[in-house]
Amino acid sequence: MSHQYQAIGWNRQKRVYDVVVLAGVTLYIALFIGFGTFLFPYATAETLIIRAAGSAAFLLLHVVLCIGPLCRLDSRFLPLLYNRRHLGVITFLLGAVHGIFGIIQFHSLGDKGPIVSLLTSNQNFGSLPDFPFQQLGFLALLILFLMAATSHDFWLRNLTPPIWKTLHMLVYVAYALLIGHVTLGLLQSETSPVLAVATGAGLVTVLSLHLAAGSREREVDRKKLNPVGEGFVDACSVESIPEKCAAVVSVSGERVAIFKFDGKISAISNVCRHQNGPLGEGKIIDGCVTCPWHGYQYLPETGGSPPPFTEKVSTFYTQIVNGRVWIDPKPNPPGTRVEPSRIPEAGVRA
Amino acid sequence: MIQPLRKTHRRIFLALALLLPTLFLSGIAFRHSWPAPAKSKNSAARQLPSRATP
Repeated sequence: MSHQYQAIGWNRQKRVYDVVVLAGVTLYIALFIGFGTFLFPYATAETLIIRAAGSAAFLLLHVVLCIGPLCRLDSRFLPLLYNRRHLGVITFLLGAVHGIFGIIQFHSLGDKGPIVSLLTSNQNFGSLPDFPFQQLGFLALLILFLMAATSHDFWLRNLTPPIWKTLHMLVYVAYALLIGHVTLGLLQSETSPVLAVATGAGLVTVLSLHLAAGSREREVDRKKLNPVGEGFVDACSVESIPEKCAAVVSVSGERVAIFKFDGKISAISNVCRHQNGPLGEGKIIDGCVTCPWHGYQYLPETGGSPPPFTEKVSTFYTQIVNGRVWIDPKPNPPGTRVEPSRIPEAGVRA
Repeated sequence: MIQPLRKTHRRIFLALALLLPTLFLSGIAFRHSWPAPAKSKNSAARQLPSRATP
């Protein structure tokens, strides 16, 4: 976790993840260039590299964009999220190879500088089929560079998670630019229906998953809890919370994770301090609430990470009344100790 | 803290769900129609593609 600076906190899972991704990308590029040599004998080696790297980056960006909503919709996809930032960096590197080879092939032999040539050689902004699509790709590459450069936890910690996440939402702008880049570039010259259908299917998949996940999150946010006196609200029944897991409710515009463990109930903020991961979708492991995204841990009674770590989240007062969990919507300062509410024995009402 | 981000995310994707399919379909609909290359009388001659770009 965060007690000391590390370039990358390598562990077995990250190594396996990266090896699988790099092997997949290498295999894809090798197959693309291998088959391309036979299928497109007129294409130069540079052209095949441009196409292989560009299509790999575009495909990988779709994978990156689908992982988030898939994890919101089904927790079985969570292992994919663990090292998603490395996928993003590889996407940028592939895009950079595509861009650099493209600039060398098409913009390096004139009397203008390559970047000037890229930005000024086509000014047909009013025409869809002749639109300067390369400039869209260049802008997208700049955004992907910004995101890759700030992907490290160093920047996450210094910018704070909300600002970092807001910055990284620029990936959606990059995606929109790349859909334009592909539609107004490749699909204008290559009229094979397979390419158009594949691009359309990717677009529909990304949009559908994000809209479905967003709609589900909205339902949780909009659910109103009934006030029950003493400033508390009725959150859920004790029985509805699985052992060592949590129910997640929305109070005062933010989410609270109510954990049941060892005959007790504790409530803490649902927002992990690392990357704002959903703590309520994690479990209690070794007595600590464990974030499902990257394994950051918090004690349920205090909301603080066990030493030597220093992260803290807010805690909430709870009561158990007639088999229901009541919580005080007002958050305590992060790290404030709150005694867990004891679940009465069966047949006894608190 | 992150509810505003969820709202922003929803709004971004509602906008993209309108913008991107429109852009994609318009791009396909308005692309140049290239005439099919005339078939060579010499069937042994190697047929080159009409247009090739990366």
